[in-house]
Amino acid sequence: MSTVLDLHSHSEASEDSRAPLEAYLNWLKLRRSERPVDGIVLTEHRQFNKNADYRALEDRFGILVLKASEVETDYGHMLVFGVTDEMTRRFDFADVHLPAQLFIDEIARMGGIVVPCHPGRPHVGLFEHYANRPPLENVVAVEVYNGGSRKGEDERSLELARRFGYRQIGGSDSHLVSLIGLCATRFEAEVRSIEDLVNELKRGAYEPVDFRPRRKPVQPAVAVEVK
Amino acid sequence: MPQSQRKYEDVKVGDALGPQELFLSKEQVRAYARTTGMWVPRFTDDEGARKEGLPGMITPGNMSLALLSKLVTDWLGSSDARLVRVGTTYRQPVLPDHTIILQGFVTHTNDADRTADMDIWIENEEAERLVIGTATVQFGKS
Repeated sequence: MSTVLDLHSHSEASEDSRAPLEAYLNWLKLRRSERPVDGIVLTEHRQFNKNADYRALEDRFGILVLKASEVETDYGHMLVFGVTDEMTRRFDFADVHLPAQLFIDEIARMGGIVVPCHPGRPHVGLFEHYANRPPLENVVAVEVYNGGSRKGEDERSLELARRFGYRQIGGSDSHLVSLIGLCATRFEAEVRSIEDLVNELKRGAYEPVDFRPRRKPVQPAVAVEVK
Repeated sequence: MPQSQRKYEDVKVGDALGPQELFLSKEQVRAYARTTGMWVPRFTDDEGARKEGLPGMITPGNMSLALLSKLVTDWLGSSDARLVRVGTTYRQPVLPDHTIILQGFVTHTNDADRTADMDIWIENEEAERLVIGTATVQFGKS
């Protein structure tokens, strides 16, 4: 049984989002036919909400809700899955200059996994840092579909992933209710907990999936000579 | 075209605002800049904007905010509702002399205070979201 999870989303706990979790889940329920997502992972900016309990909402909507974090490192933004007390004691998640290599290695040693997100994005993505600095070691996967990507960013991310042999995930990076679930990751196995998710990201079979609607570009106006 | 008289009871999560397609000309942007006292090169002149590191003249953020506010008030029509909050995030410059698309969705309703929350945004021709935001409208008592 496969599982489709949106691995990157921000609720109103992030300073730049106004999306309540309940509204996200309601939206996914309404849009189930076009965004068949089984669950979402809240990756709030520079924090981990250890005590948040979403079980009542999970039961009400039948959608899995897991917790992770998005941190800022000297190689760009990264998602952290499987966050523990040991990790938040070891690192200040609010630090916007976390040392990426040490962070990746230490989080792995403590049982979690770090996945660089939107690596093709200027300034905050891995790709730009690789242009000037040596590549990081022990990167397992990167996010290649990001719902907030501008033109060319996902393509750069895919190129990076292929060149370095990274595995690939997708996430909406939603900050608005109606954007949740636009990109996601399909796991071959069933994922029902954060432990399952970390195990699958490290060793399982998965692929990014893209539910964004395609719009034909508006054609430029053509001047017509009137006789 | 007669304006709608939207009622709170008819509003549902998932209702769409727009899409409204609009060709935003440089002259319109200059007119806005002139009217609002924002006559600076980035909003009025390609060459001056490029000197500031921009790709060309751009649309003032307040004008984007106004266009999105109008999307909401057009949707409300002549009903007794009012726009009580609007907020935006500017992701990419809105370049004039291009077609933009204004769009939104109702994302939440609250029966107790008769409000509706909505996502709103401006896209370019390639479906990139240039400005995103949220708004809240409140309807009068029935």
